[in-house]
Formats: sequence, structure tokens, C-alpha cells
Amino acid sequence: MRTLTSPVKLVPWLVAMLSAPVLAAGAHDHGGGRLDVSIEKERITIELELPLDVLVGFERAPRNDKERAALAAAGKKLNDGAALFLPTAAAECRLTKTEVSLPFAEGTKTAATGEHADADARYEFECAQARNLAGIETTLFRDFSRLYRLELQRVGPVGQAGGRLTRKAPVVRW
Amino acid sequence: MSFLARLALASALNRRWTLGLTLAAVALSVALLLGVERLREGARTGFVQSVSGTDLIVGPRTGGVQLLLYSVFRIGNATNNISWVSAQVLGQHPAVAWTIPVSLGDTHRSFPVLGTTEAYFTHFRHGDQRALSLAQGRPFAGLFEVVLGSEVARALGYQLGQGITLSHGASELSLAAEALTQAAEHGDKPFTVVGILAPTGTPVDRTLHVTLESMSALHLDWQGGAPLPGLKIPAEFVRKFDLAPKDVNAVLVGLKNRSDVFRMQRFVNEFRGEPLLGILPGVTLDELWGLLAVAERALKAISALVVAVGLAGLVAVVLAGLNERRRELAILRSVGARPGDIFALLMVEGVLVIGLGVVLGVVLLAAVFTAVTPWAQTQFGLALGGTMGGTLPAAAEWPLIAAVFAAGTLASAVPAWRAYRLSLADGLTPRV
Repeated sequence: MRTLTSPVKLVPWLVAMLSAPVLAAGAHDHGGGRLDVSIEKERITIELELPLDVLVGFERAPRNDKERAALAAAGKKLNDGAALFLPTAAAECRLTKTEVSLPFAEGTKTAATGEHADADARYEFECAQARNLAGIETTLFRDFSRLYRLELQRVGPVGQAGGRLTRKAPVVRW
Repeated sequence: MSFLARLALASALNRRWTLGLTLAAVALSVALLLGVERLREGARTGFVQSVSGTDLIVGPRTGGVQLLLYSVFRIGNATNNISWVSAQVLGQHPAVAWTIPVSLGDTHRSFPVLGTTEAYFTHFRHGDQRALSLAQGRPFAGLFEVVLGSEVARALGYQLGQGITLSHGASELSLAAEALTQAAEHGDKPFTVVGILAPTGTPVDRTLHVTLESMSALHLDWQGGAPLPGLKIPAEFVRKFDLAPKDVNAVLVGLKNRSDVFRMQRFVNEFRGEPLLGILPGVTLDELWGLLAVAERALKAISALVVAVGLAGLVAVVLAGLNERRRELAILRSVGARPGDIFALLMVEGVLVIGLGVVLGVVLLAAVFTAVTPWAQTQFGLALGGTMGGTLPAAAEWPLIAAVFAAGTLASAVPAWRAYRLSLADGLTPRV
């Protein structure tokens, strides 16, 4: 009898999966971004890295007014950290710091970095009732329709964990 | 109702062999179903405990899972090294509290040999943030001194002060080479056992620990993985050479401030000296479980199918028995049992077998795991987690048990319904 997937056939596949390089620095994945979340006492630090393509659909200097407007809109959204990330309400968190670096945006000098460009953002929240923190929801998927997944790394009082946020599961939980 | 239970029991006892076998099938299938779940949980806890104190693992640019597997679990091989200079630069980074270099490659009677520094004994953490402790002796201090993991000492019967020699490369290779030429033995440079570690339930137990300098000294007169012909540097002269390591396989990093880990990871991944990879062990473990999820799901599905087969067997046996019990059931009817009573009788029997099967399955599983846990620890250096040795089912197992019980009860209703129908239609003199 012929089997559809023999275990032997799975071996190369497993090997391939195991040897697949992780998304190290410099890795650039259209449709996907990286999200690092660390929690220490009352402070949540969120670091976000998104390919520019996800935000505006191009990765070069804007060529016309429409593209310039798209870039400005993306910058505006990224700068509104309190709308992008929603920690559990009961934890009473408020945004205390926002740093956004958006290539090609007005007022920023962007050195030529090859074929790809990434936007980086860093947000800090202070939570009055950090014990009540059960999760952080992100609205990034709603704001940026070209974003499909975020590779998540998080560290906190319960240790390290990884995962993936998607359109259907846009919440960091622990 | 109690007379029904008694009646069911008496009737079941009468058919104890067929029912007994069915019971065994149910018990085995329950044990398998719960065992798969327990093994999964246990393996995860065991793995997590082995890396509890390390914030970041730095190695050559390779797969994250691969780096984690060889640097912590001694599974697989390193494909590349990182230079000792890079390792030192890492150690001097202001955010770093400690670094433990990891240099693998040699073995002793199939146990891995780890070249490292004294930092290993002060900073390595396992389980619930526990430091390593020595059961006997002291940490290594100089050349050709070795500290044994507890399992190495136990399995090979080594004592303090004993002299041992290490082999180059993996065990199977060196065994073959040993048989041929003794070429792969570092026989000219014996080591002295100066310490034996207390058991940890991690791969540390299966490891021999030496200094990085000892590791370099071993390979002074080697080149390209083999001894240089005609060149022998005796142990007493190696001190004249520069024994500073040239490279290591990986570096375990502990940070002063845990939340600096992403900053540090970026520093490592963008390191200018050479291509490096920094991984968060907890994150990479999750990645590994993600990869294994397919296999886990397959195992789960198979064990669920086995339970289904067990229950089908039960139904088949009871159904087949109905024919020979037509007379029994007809007599019961004639002395006043209502059709509902017949239905209940068969249900009680089925539920009894299922219930007993589940209990037996749980007991069987506890027995098996009690027997297997020490073996897993010696074979893989993994304490298979907290729930493994437990006799009572863990919280996650109750829903499975409930599901089996519910499915079994439902399945028992099939023969019960058939008996109910038969008892209506059948007379006292069934046509045979």
C-alpha cells in the first residue's frame, strides 16, 4: 500500500526546519516584523521592527506626493504608541516614552542601506498595577494591512518565551 | 439501583475472561493517551530547567535551534566556532554580568567533554535558579584536571584522584579508531579527577568538565583532527606553550539586567568582528516545540485512535455477549425486570469496565513512569519534569480522562440499547 507521507520522507523536511536560520539581525522578511517585549517590575518595553514595505508598500525614498503622504501617515500611526499597544486595562499602564525611526521620512537623513529598509520603534509603558497585566494587544495588523505576522520574543518575571502574533491572534499573553 | 450494580457485577464475573481482556485494552489505551501528554509536559519542563539561568547564548551564525541543542543539551554538532577574542569582547560588555565559554568535541567513553572556565561553577544555573554544587572534591584549577558530572562518576565508577584519558571526536568514531590504531586517544595526556558534581537532572550530569587550557593542551600536537606524525609534546612540556584558547563553540551569557537582553542580542547579531548569532534560550525552545508540534499532534491523534479502538473492542465484546445472554436477560424480564432495568444493567456494566479501565490505566502509567524516569535521567541527563513521577493525574490530564469516560459511557449505550430492544422482542424461548 502506498502511504501519502511516509515518516522517512519527513526526515529531510525536519532537518530543513531545524537548520533554517532564525531571523537574525539583517534578516528582512516582507509581510513579517519583529516584536520584542520585556517586562521589568512596572515597566514594559516594546521594541518593534517592521520592513518599510509593510508600512507603505515601498522601500525607497518617496517619489511623489502620494508616497510622501503614505510615509507621513505611517509615521503618525507609529508615533501613537498608546493606540498601537493595549496592555490589560486593569494594569493601568500609560505610555511614557516613544522613539520612532522611519527611513526616508521628512526631517530624517537616511543613508543608503542597500535594497531594504526597516522602521524601528521603541515604546515604554509604566504600569501602576503591573500584577494585573495579563496581555498586550496590538492593533498593528489593523493599521497595516500588508503585515501578516510578528515574530515575538518576550522576557519577564516568568522567564523567556517566543511565539508569533498574527491577524487572528494579535495578543501577547503570559 | 444497588441490586442492579450487584447483578451487573455478578454477571460480569461470570464472563470475567472476555471482559478482563477488554478491560486490559481500555487500561492500556488510557495509559498511552495520558502517557503521550505526560511525556510532552515532562520533556518541556526538563528542557526549560536546563537553561534556567542563561539570558543569551552566543554562537557562530547557524540555526538557533541547533545552537541551543549543542551548547546546552550536547545534541548534534557545532558547525563552526567563534573566536576567543569575540568571546572576551562579549565578557567585557557593560551589560554582561558573566560569560561561560563552551568548547565541545572530545569525549570520554561516549560522555561529552566540555572545556570551560571556573565561571561555570559559580554562574551556571539549573532548575529553580540553583547553582552547581560539588558532591566531592573541588572545581578544576589547572591543567589536566577534570570535574565529573554525577552520572559519569556513577556509570563508570570513578573516584577522586583517578586518572582518565579523553578521546578526540565523537564516541563511535573514536571507538572505531581506537580499535584500529589508538590514534584518536589523547592517551599521552591523562587527566586527574578532582571533583564530582551533585546530580542536577540536566545534561551537566553526563558531562566531563575541563579547563579551556587543558583542551588546547590536548590538541597542541594535533592538526586537522589528527595527531601530527612524528610530533609528540609530552604533558610536562605543554606548559611552555601558549595555551590560551583560539576559539570556542559558544558562550553562555548572563546579564546584569534581564531586560537588556534584546539590546545585547542586537549587539551580538550586529557584531563587527565576525558573524555571530545570539539567541534567547527560552524563545528558541518555544521555536523547537513549534517545530515538534506536528509530531506531537500526530502522536496525540494516534493515541486517541487507540482509545477509540479499545472502546470499540469493549462494545464488540458486550454486543457479542448479548446473544449468549438472551436467556439471562429474558429470565430477568420474566421475574419482573422492566426493559429500562435491562438497559441500566448493561450501562452499569459498561461504565464499570470503563471506570476500572481508566483507574488501571492511570496506575499503570504511574508505575511505568516511576520505572522510566531514572533511566531517562541517565540516558539523556533530563529529569523529565515534575509531573512525571507523580502518581495522581495532573490538572491537564483530567479533561482527557473525562473525555475517555464520556466516550466510553456513550459507547456502552449501544449494547444497552440493543439489549433493551431485544428484551422487548425476545420471548423466553429464543430461536437459536
